[in-house]
Amino acid sequence: MPGGGRCPDCGSTELVEDSHYSQSQLVCSDCGCVVTEGVLTTTFSDEGNLREVTYSRSTGENEQVSRSEQRGLRRVRDLCRVLQLPPTFEDTAVAYYQKAYRHSGIRAARLQKKEVLVGCCVLITCRQRNWPLTMGTICTLLYADLDVFSGTYMQLVKLLGLDVPSLCLAELVKTYCSSFKLFQASPSVPAKYVEDKEKMLSRTLQLVELADETWLVTGRHPLPVITAAAFLAWQSLQPSYRLSCSLARFCKSANVDLPHPASSRLQELLAVLLRMAKQLAWLQVLKLDKRSVVKHIGDLLQHRHTLVRAAFQDGMAEMETQKELQGRGQGEEVGSSSLGLPQGKRPASPALLLPPCMLKPPKRICPTPTVSTVTGDENISDSEIEQYLRTPQEIRDFQRAQAAGQAATSVPNPP
Amino acid sequence: MPSAPSRAPRPLAYWVIPQLPTADPLPMDEETETYLELYLDQCAVQDDFVPPRSPLFSPVVPYVYTPNPSNPETTFNSHLESKETSGNFSSVDLSFLPDELTQENKDQAVIRSKHETEENSETQSQQSRLPLPSGQDVGPGSDSSSLSNSRSHLHPGDANSIQSAPAKPNCNSSPLASITPMTPMTPVSECCGIVPQLQNIVSTVNLACKLDLKKIALHAKNAEYNPKRFAAVIMRIREPRTTALIFSSGKMVCTGAKSEEQSRLAARKYARVVQKLGFPARFLDFKIQNMVGSCDVRFSIRLEGLVLTHQQFSSYEPELFPGLIYRMVKPRIVLLIFVSGKVVLTGAKERSEIYEAFENIYPILKGFRKA
Repeated sequence: MPGGGRCPDCGSTELVEDSHYSQSQLVCSDCGCVVTEGVLTTTFSDEGNLREVTYSRSTGENEQVSRSEQRGLRRVRDLCRVLQLPPTFEDTAVAYYQKAYRHSGIRAARLQKKEVLVGCCVLITCRQRNWPLTMGTICTLLYADLDVFSGTYMQLVKLLGLDVPSLCLAELVKTYCSSFKLFQASPSVPAKYVEDKEKMLSRTLQLVELADETWLVTGRHPLPVITAAAFLAWQSLQPSYRLSCSLARFCKSANVDLPHPASSRLQELLAVLLRMAKQLAWLQVLKLDKRSVVKHIGDLLQHRHTLVRAAFQDGMAEMETQKELQGRGQGEEVGSSSLGLPQGKRPASPALLLPPCMLKPPKRICPTPTVSTVTGDENISDSEIEQYLRTPQEIRDFQRAQAAGQAATSVPNPP
Repeated sequence: MPSAPSRAPRPLAYWVIPQLPTADPLPMDEETETYLELYLDQCAVQDDFVPPRSPLFSPVVPYVYTPNPSNPETTFNSHLESKETSGNFSSVDLSFLPDELTQENKDQAVIRSKHETEENSETQSQQSRLPLPSGQDVGPGSDSSSLSNSRSHLHPGDANSIQSAPAKPNCNSSPLASITPMTPMTPVSECCGIVPQLQNIVSTVNLACKLDLKKIALHAKNAEYNPKRFAAVIMRIREPRTTALIFSSGKMVCTGAKSEEQSRLAARKYARVVQKLGFPARFLDFKIQNMVGSCDVRFSIRLEGLVLTHQQFSSYEPELFPGLIYRMVKPRIVLLIFVSGKVVLTGAKERSEIYEAFENIYPILKGFRKA
């Protein structure tokens, strides 16, 4: 080989490629020494001599793709295929896994953590490409605990110094709603329950946007909100047949798990819709409740922006909105009194647009902190310390009780 | 508030000001002006009254007024005596004096507003705190020695003016702590009146002797020891309500106190208990390892917006935790920010770090007040 090969015996650089019974060989033209047979990987030191060596001493070992890393990379590819991700995602996820594996903390981690790491790499890839994959899905697929997953995920993000964008809510709505089995009649789905996918998707999206605007999404897991919104959207498209269906039954028909917080999200969303309904004159008359408001969700969503602005006020209420409402209230007062409603009834004054945790009364009153005048150097009286010490009699009693307890536990079982 | 940039700094005794007779150029009916301003107006007339010696103005020398009045003080006092007001101080606002000297307790807010104006003028002058002159000018019955003691505590609290102010530990500093706004004690936040409250202090101390944990668990009522679960004795005391982990090497961790002094007192009590049990326990290397504070900004916060603009510091995963984790770089504090406006600050070694971190985060949060 003209490039850099030296014969180990005579040191000459005149190596010729020759073949011996169709096996390629490198032979020194000076002394005839066979430098190498076949083309295999070599150690660094033998690279010059192009000698054949065992794998364990070869350069292949220097690439340091250990067995466990190889296993992990295979798992990453498998997970990407199971999730039916686009092919480019696979390469990115594999690259993240390899990058993570460079760190000694990851290399020395338990197998459970390495397994979870696979999921973290896939999740980060999906998040960066706006693919709506939830942590719950990955944990279910990997049979992993969410606590372990969250710890590994936070550690990985910090370790690699990554910018991971938030979950894209709109995409999640589309993916999640598409997984509902309500778009075709089947034994579990009565005819009246079947719904058009596009209509349901668009209405669910509008409801989720409404929830986001009215502080129902911040700080909460996104999925239960979407479940509640999908349920309301589905109900409102044909209320006459579907009002009798409960949230649990809906999820069962749609073949989707019912997340536990979904029912409270549903109540919150209905409360928001009710407050919006109170701003519409023709709905205010009807005295809607949580069930009847569902029939009017279409109207409410159509005008949702103005209604939200009208129905709610920020903590710092603008005087204009107040006056606007009072003006409207005047008109409606006249209208309502003509219908025989009690005098002085106005549309509900704007409620505060706040997250539900701020609207609920505090569970316990925070005690005002007392100003303490402790200096840290006060005298400590003996009596105060002695109250924490056992008297000799108490020590004896305690020891006796301990011995008795141990004797009881160490009694051998009768054969 | 008019500032006084051109006036030479001089020792002040602003509790005297309102009582000066009408012959004084002071406008007596100006109640809106603070005492500081009133006094400085007066001083503008007496410009030849500059004290020759001014230890106050050098940035290094701590602002400590010696008990024996120096020239400026005697001249000042004599000047005041010429306009002697007699001992009648009933109308004087003595609210900023320690409780033992005043007759009534006024609002802290009064003190704070005074401090604010004080600090405003301070940026121009080097002068930080006011000495109380000798005892004769103070309210009746006050001990001049106690005053001079307390005077030595009027340290410059402003971190930017004088850094190396050594504290006088043997005097009763706590009453005057309310007057001298050392940044650790009463932070005057420019942005709002919200002060984070300390909720937990974690500290460690070395008792410097090997301990027999079984013996401790046997002889102490308030100890629990389960070697299979954890290799330390868990001891609790009632006052201050804290918990300690005591290891066989002699090291101890004390948690649950609400202030640094309480943590130190609690650690000393635990060391005393260990001593009483017969071990030669000492109290070495007491160090506060972590302080946790919390407060409420009282408005809702759009966490999604905050994570978008402060991506490099924030981590917001609603699937995992409802709050946003903000890792502030300077000071190195971790803040948990919730949608309700509650903020938890942790990772501090000093109280001032918590206050500083909150001062830094409050304007950022205000920016996310509306949707």
